[in-house]
Amino acid sequence: MDVLIENSVLIGKGLSMTLGLAVFTLILSTIVSVILGVLATLPGRALRWIIHGYVEFFRAIPLIVNIFFVYFVLPMFGVDLSPFTAVVTGLTLWGSANGIEIVRGGIEAVPPHQWRSAWALGMRRWEVYLHVVAPQAIRLIVPPFTGLLTLLVQATSLGALVGVTEFLKVGQIIIERGAIMEGVSPAFFIYGFVLVVYFIICSALSWLSRYLERRLNRKPASKQQVLPSGMRESV
Amino acid sequence: MEFDVAYLAQQWPALLSGLWMTCKVTVLAVFFSLVIGLLGAAFRLFRVPVLAQLTLGYVEFIRNTPILVQLFFIFYGLPAVGFGISPFWSGVLCLSLWAGAYQVENVRGGLLTIEKGLREASFALNLNLNQYFRLVALPLAVRTSLPSMLNTSISLLKNSSYLQAIGLAELTFVAIDRIATDFRAVEMFAAIGVLYLGLVVLLSMAASVVEHRLKKPFRS
Repeated sequence: MDVLIENSVLIGKGLSMTLGLAVFTLILSTIVSVILGVLATLPGRALRWIIHGYVEFFRAIPLIVNIFFVYFVLPMFGVDLSPFTAVVTGLTLWGSANGIEIVRGGIEAVPPHQWRSAWALGMRRWEVYLHVVAPQAIRLIVPPFTGLLTLLVQATSLGALVGVTEFLKVGQIIIERGAIMEGVSPAFFIYGFVLVVYFIICSALSWLSRYLERRLNRKPASKQQVLPSGMRESV
Repeated sequence: MEFDVAYLAQQWPALLSGLWMTCKVTVLAVFFSLVIGLLGAAFRLFRVPVLAQLTLGYVEFIRNTPILVQLFFIFYGLPAVGFGISPFWSGVLCLSLWAGAYQVENVRGGLLTIEKGLREASFALNLNLNQYFRLVALPLAVRTSLPSMLNTSISLLKNSSYLQAIGLAELTFVAIDRIATDFRAVEMFAAIGVLYLGLVVLLSMAASVVEHRLKKPFRS
């Protein structure tokens, strides 16, 4: 216990870095997902295929390879990235690939008669999206997006591998210090502590996701499954 | 800077050995995770006291913690209290536990779709619980949950790249190791990207073949 109290400042810094990574990634992924997700539901076939390719590619490549790629290869082309930016970029590519599927699924789950009615009323395409589709799709999109946030928080631990001082890295630093100063490695206790903290954060988010799902879908907008298959387990 | 194919040809044996290690770990972990999944689902479904609650806690815990931290806990944490395991078996253990948690839910989801009448019918035919589970419920449940089980296995394959962090010489480790000495990042990433994509596509194709096969008795 003393180890934790001694290092509480460091732990706080690590946690806020983890939070920073997660929040940045979430904002960027949301922007990319919404734009590309909407584009993927437009009639153009070529565009849809390109976006589909993007989604499939970044979901098939291991996330860690993705982050290493951004971290090692982009600097060779003159893009200088800090570890933080590299991790955010890598995570965004992956997060948005999953997000696009959620947005697309949410929009496609809006029943076709809604479209036809809106057109019959003389609405333009963007008006239909804004006034008819969006209000219905959002309640389908928000719960799985919260679930995605849980995965993003977990995935930020990869930052430790490229030198971002986030929560896991802080744990490693404390263990190294302890091993040098006391001669006994506190690895079991510290990693156990790190696991428990992640567990608390992520279960809270999972709970929130389930709560939102119940809350927002009280009126059955659609019973279709919006979560792309296998998404919950890609971390 | 141009793409150096000769370099890749020269590094091919190393990459191949990495690929072999990735496959070995994945196959072992898929096997163990399925065992965990079957046992866990049975515990949950038959409400075995204590074990059912433990399974629930285990599933929730694994799902809500990063796999990287789980891996470090097993590889660095356990030796500190006297349970040292080699990188290979740490990796297999970590991946099995991780995927096992998802397989419990996959198998359970399949078993839940089975009608109650079948169970009553089996008991009426004097099958015992074990026979019912093995001969009636499982063959049906596996068919329904197969897609999600294979999905989990594909994720497991991808997650085997995390073992790079504990120094197991699998595909990603080999690539990163070579990049650190030769600085040929583009070639290496292209190579492992293609290899991982190939493996995932291959597995997905195998998945759809198996699915098609298993549906046979139900096609008219």
